[in-house]
Amino acid sequence: MVININLDKAAGELEVQELEAPNGVASPHVYERLLAIYLCQNDLCNAKFLWKRIPASVKTAAPELASIWAVGQQMWKRDFPAIYNALNSVTWSENVADIMREVQEITRLRAVDLITRAYSSISLDAVAHMTGLTSDVANKACSEKGWQIEADTNIVHPVRSSTVIIGQNSSEDQLYRLTDFVSFLEN
Amino acid sequence: MASALEQFVNTVRTLSSQGNYRELCDYLCKASEILIKNNPHLDNVLETLDIQQHSLGVLAILCAKYNIPNATNIQEARFNQTKDFINNCNGEQIRLAPDTFAELCHLVTSNLVEQKQPMKGILLLRKAISKLQLFDSQLTSIHADLCQLCLLAKCLKPALELLDIDIIGICQEINTQIQGGAQFDAKYFLLYYHYGGMIYLAVRNLERALYFFEVAITTPARAVSHIMLESYKKYILVSLLLHGKIQTIPKYASQVVCRFIKPLSQPYHELANAFASNSTSELNSVVNKHSEIFTRDHNMGLVKQISSVLYKKNIQRLTKTFLTLSLSDVASRVGLPGPADAEKYILHMIEDEQIYATINQKDGMVIFRDEPEKYSGPEVLQSLETQLQACMELDKQILQMDEEIQVNPQYVKKAAGLQEDEQPTKSTYVM
Repeated sequence: MVININLDKAAGELEVQELEAPNGVASPHVYERLLAIYLCQNDLCNAKFLWKRIPASVKTAAPELASIWAVGQQMWKRDFPAIYNALNSVTWSENVADIMREVQEITRLRAVDLITRAYSSISLDAVAHMTGLTSDVANKACSEKGWQIEADTNIVHPVRSSTVIIGQNSSEDQLYRLTDFVSFLEN
Repeated sequence: MASALEQFVNTVRTLSSQGNYRELCDYLCKASEILIKNNPHLDNVLETLDIQQHSLGVLAILCAKYNIPNATNIQEARFNQTKDFINNCNGEQIRLAPDTFAELCHLVTSNLVEQKQPMKGILLLRKAISKLQLFDSQLTSIHADLCQLCLLAKCLKPALELLDIDIIGICQEINTQIQGGAQFDAKYFLLYYHYGGMIYLAVRNLERALYFFEVAITTPARAVSHIMLESYKKYILVSLLLHGKIQTIPKYASQVVCRFIKPLSQPYHELANAFASNSTSELNSVVNKHSEIFTRDHNMGLVKQISSVLYKKNIQRLTKTFLTLSLSDVASRVGLPGPADAEKYILHMIEDEQIYATINQKDGMVIFRDEPEKYSGPEVLQSLETQLQACMELDKQILQMDEEIQVNPQYVKKAAGLQEDEQPTKSTYVM
């Protein structure tokens, strides 16, 4: 969660930098980081519009922007194998490397979450594709999670995790609001 | 310096120092012609005035500068002067001449649009809005300009911050030249809601988009506005995307909507009918038939989304009939090319929580399940609480507006007048 807050803050700062830039064109570094952060937040709409509004001259001057957006495009299509491909085919510059690593991590978490929710049985190959891991690593990760693997057919049976209940507010606050409602309804 | 301008400077200075702003406003309205005529010297005049103390005077000059024809060579300087003015002007003075101030912003906007540099104006207009507003939820005609710039710049976040605030008041922009009364140009009201809807649409906030288009089409009107017509078309498309059918238009919509706007958007109604029939082929034929119109209206993207939503809607319908179904059966029933496509669609829908299902890749089956939410958790309570709070807020708002009307002299006069009219008739009965 700490990372999320930091990203939000960083995104806010970068957005202001972009708006305040003279002639409305910011430095390529600003665009790169902002685009990467949007991907990290899975905010694809804003990423798309950012890509569209970056002037063509900046795009040619900073080819890394195009590689970042290539990842975004695959995320838009929800094509997991292609996302990992796009992520790993480029060595990221220092400017965005940490964020892009984060993107990969988050994408993998999303994939795992989706598998647990959507499949009662799935082939090991598909798991490996969706998580971007080799089948050996995927095999190990599955057993760690306690998912059963049929050795002869390589079919994985994911286990549903029970949803985590979010912490409740203090009872005093609850009571205060209830009195509010009652006094409103009575009048 | 021409003598007319000298007189102008003197008047502005004396009236400003006396604090006689109302008279100054009247004077400035008449002075705009003199300013435009003497345009080569306007920069000199500008230097003699102070932005804080003589905000109204500076405003008049800047407006005049934007009204000069063929002013390409002073673009840059003019914009910087305006920027400086908006950032540093005196808010209290500005609010006495909201129409001129808004006019200046409109001029700046259209100028930036022409120069294709909408990005430059976004922060500026936000500042301008905050100068003119008395409170956050007040609508000014500059809102529409800001939304337009944001759309053109494809930079939507700054506009969203404004759009997320529900409007409860409208800035009275008095136009002294045309009428004495306070008024707010309906064009900017409609534009704000139309652009706002488009912005929400762009960031996939369909519910809010639908609401904005609804406001646009339920605005009281006696004649058809083109903005309303476009909003109506988008309203149909969004409500298909969101609810799978056309939401009924509220009764308080004006009659022009039914009488004129509906017949004008016939292709969209055909599309909705085809969508309601749940048949992909029928929908595609309507789309092909009217593709020219949809493209011309710049709605083709939405129309394409609708055809992909139809697949999802049909899958959703399957969950009502079946408990388990093979992927190839899903594909053939919905009209998708193969089981792999069906799996892809179902996977996406599960991720978006549009259906609850489990895919069994081993046997190639889908098991549809019930919604797991039991409506007993704390989240439900929380959402109930927030909704109740919104209702209470609304109730308070309505009571306040009701009180305002009850003490309105015009209303009291009319209400009392009616009773007086009735009284004599009563007394005649007695006689």
